Amino acid sequence: MEILVIQVLNSLFYAAVLFLIAAGLSLIFGVMGIVNMAHGSFYALGAYVTAWSAAAAAGVMPPAALFIFLPLGAIAVAVIGLAIEPTLIRPFYRRPEEYQLLVTFGLLLVLEDAIRLVWGGTPRTASGLVDSLGLLQIGGLPYPVYNLAMIGVGIAAALGLWAFVYRTRFGVLLRATAQDRRMAAALGIDVGRIYSLAFGLGCFMAGLAGAIVVPSQAAVLGMGVEVIVLSFVVVVIGGLGSLEGALVGALIVSALRTITIQFWEEIELAALYLIAAIVLLILPTGLFGKKA
Amino acid sequence: MDKEQMHQERRGFLKQFGATMGVAGLGAAGLGTVAGVRTAHAAAPKGNIPDRPIKMGHITFLTGAAELLGGPGQHGHILAQEEINAQGGLLGKRKIETIFADEAAGTDSNVKEFRRMKLSEKIDLFTGVISSGNTPALGPVAEELKVLTLFNDGCTDFLFDKAVPNPKYTFRVTNIQSADGVTAAIGAATHWPKARRIASIQPDYSYGRNVFEHFVLALGKLVPGVEVVSESWPKLGTTDFTSHITKILSAKPDLLVVGVWGGDYVAFYKQALRYGLFDKMKVATTLAFGGYPHAIGKDHPEGVLAGVHANYHFLYPSAERWPINKSFVERYHKRWKEYPSFESDGAYTALYLYKQAVEKANQLVGGWPDDDAIIAMLEGTGINSPAGYLYIRADNHQGYKDAVTGLSKNLPGYDFPVWDTSSIVTIPIRSITAPPNWAKPGQGHNESTAAADWIKKTWPQAKA
Repeated sequence: MEILVIQVLNSLFYAAVLFLIAAGLSLIFGVMGIVNMAHGSFYALGAYVTAWSAAAAAGVMPPAALFIFLPLGAIAVAVIGLAIEPTLIRPFYRRPEEYQLLVTFGLLLVLEDAIRLVWGGTPRTASGLVDSLGLLQIGGLPYPVYNLAMIGVGIAAALGLWAFVYRTRFGVLLRATAQDRRMAAALGIDVGRIYSLAFGLGCFMAGLAGAIVVPSQAAVLGMGVEVIVLSFVVVVIGGLGSLEGALVGALIVSALRTITIQFWEEIELAALYLIAAIVLLILPTGLFGKKA
Repeated sequence: MDKEQMHQERRGFLKQFGATMGVAGLGAAGLGTVAGVRTAHAAAPKGNIPDRPIKMGHITFLTGAAELLGGPGQHGHILAQEEINAQGGLLGKRKIETIFADEAAGTDSNVKEFRRMKLSEKIDLFTGVISSGNTPALGPVAEELKVLTLFNDGCTDFLFDKAVPNPKYTFRVTNIQSADGVTAAIGAATHWPKARRIASIQPDYSYGRNVFEHFVLALGKLVPGVEVVSESWPKLGTTDFTSHITKILSAKPDLLVVGVWGGDYVAFYKQALRYGLFDKMKVATTLAFGGYPHAIGKDHPEGVLAGVHANYHFLYPSAERWPINKSFVERYHKRWKEYPSFESDGAYTALYLYKQAVEKANQLVGGWPDDDAIIAMLEGTGINSPAGYLYIRADNHQGYKDAVTGLSKNLPGYDFPVWDTSSIVTIPIRSITAPPNWAKPGQGHNESTAAADWIKKTWPQAKA
């Protein structure tokens, strides 16, 4: 029984991380029409920035205060995203999609190398944050309270994003731009600014995912490439460009992953791709994607 | 049973392999040339030596999670290169120039890059390579293009069992892969002879499969009634292990064998620690201490069998018994401000092995020796490397040295865990690898490796 409870929690924690990444990926695609191959690298950046700043401050701040570096890590990634969008992405909006894929893939490689150049090859960690919250006993097995808290952050982020997109004026502008960029521009919306902010918001989400992951795991080279593949499976299942899709897709992928690991690990990846293939065959735009 | 009696029993158990526990372990000292700056005293080169540089290609992981292994390897190579060049180069004349490339580009790209290095850069020697997925692809190319090749790692048995069964140009310096799982099994059986219920977590590719197979096979022979109760196969690059850990806990094993390595291992142990895994079972790893030594934090639990790919840990052989290692570690630390790993030793020793063969061949034939002469001097040769005595078997061009493993412990003076000196198990490599000319897979047996067949047929079965 305690195993079941912990596996459900494991699955929810992983789903929270996947959702944050996939939601950003979907948001950027939905608004800007760009498939951002480098999105996983922004996730890795969030992890590295958070681990690095938390380690630097560990001596002078109490452990509980280090939690400030989780949102700060995400904000730092958003700022980097806001700088990259106008310089690197914007010149390619009018080009065919393959150029956008190439430039974001190039960005992925550049960011991977930049991370190694700045932080070196040794994994970075911030385990102090996990330890500061202590452990919960579930039927005699310990479970970190931190992971529970981060499931809460995932839920809060999902609600916050929903409210932001559907309940604010900026959300209306965002959706208008996503639906018809030219009409939005004709109505006087500063589409360039919307694009920048959407990209920054997407990067913030990815950075936040990296920030919440790093205390419980570690920031390692290649982590961005590892996660981007699963994030694409999430958005393929949920529907590229849909936030609800990212949420449902993340829950499905994470639950399926945990179930296969527990019972039949050899088919873990096969099962994920199989589900993605079945969804594509029956609903080519994903569960929540817009019909073409 | 009191502690002393238990200790005696363990030593008795180890005796069947000629193995030892504690600092005493160090195989027979070698006959070959001493690696390091001392070789300056070699006999003066004979004949006319050209002074154009020797070109080397070195492919290793410079990015990705495996940089944790590739980085130290590159550092070892550069240190040896700088030392040799400071003495005027090979045979006092030929400076070494190395072209590096990133192994993370993938097997196909590595093969292309290797060809490019030979065909357009005209390399004289190829070194490096970490992944067992890559050496079986690069070995045949080395033979085809006739490039003298000293692989650093990529230690799969498959390379010399199947991919290049009759090597001429291909050699490999670090221990063969099957020795890794077997070493972990002997280490586990020594320290925890009562463990019966085994769980396993391995990266899902050839390395993990090899470790699992040979660990279970060897432990099954050493300990009666061994049973595998749980298998986990995360793919390489996994960082979320929580579901795997919970699954392992649910199987209630006595012992967990871990082949997960590099950045993956760091993420694994951090999560396993907070999930209480280390309190519930013994843990035997094959590569926990395989990357940069400082990659593992002080929060790493003590008493974990911390594998080094059955090759080398920088504190052993100890300074008193093996000054070569002490001197190597000092020079390495001075150059890189970090401690060496087994990959550092492998890459460093590979260059000195080449240097030694070139010098010997020069004494025989004069001038710059051709590859055939160098190869003849590499086959069956030995060298005193930082890790101990290394010899290159003539039949399969594989490097062999005593296998080591030990239990993790936090000692003052280091920012990272090292080995508990009294726990180190040293095993003569001939006790755990198939002897020369043992039938290869497909020649009378269909085991995955010659080692597996040899263990099945010759090791006695322990009785309850």
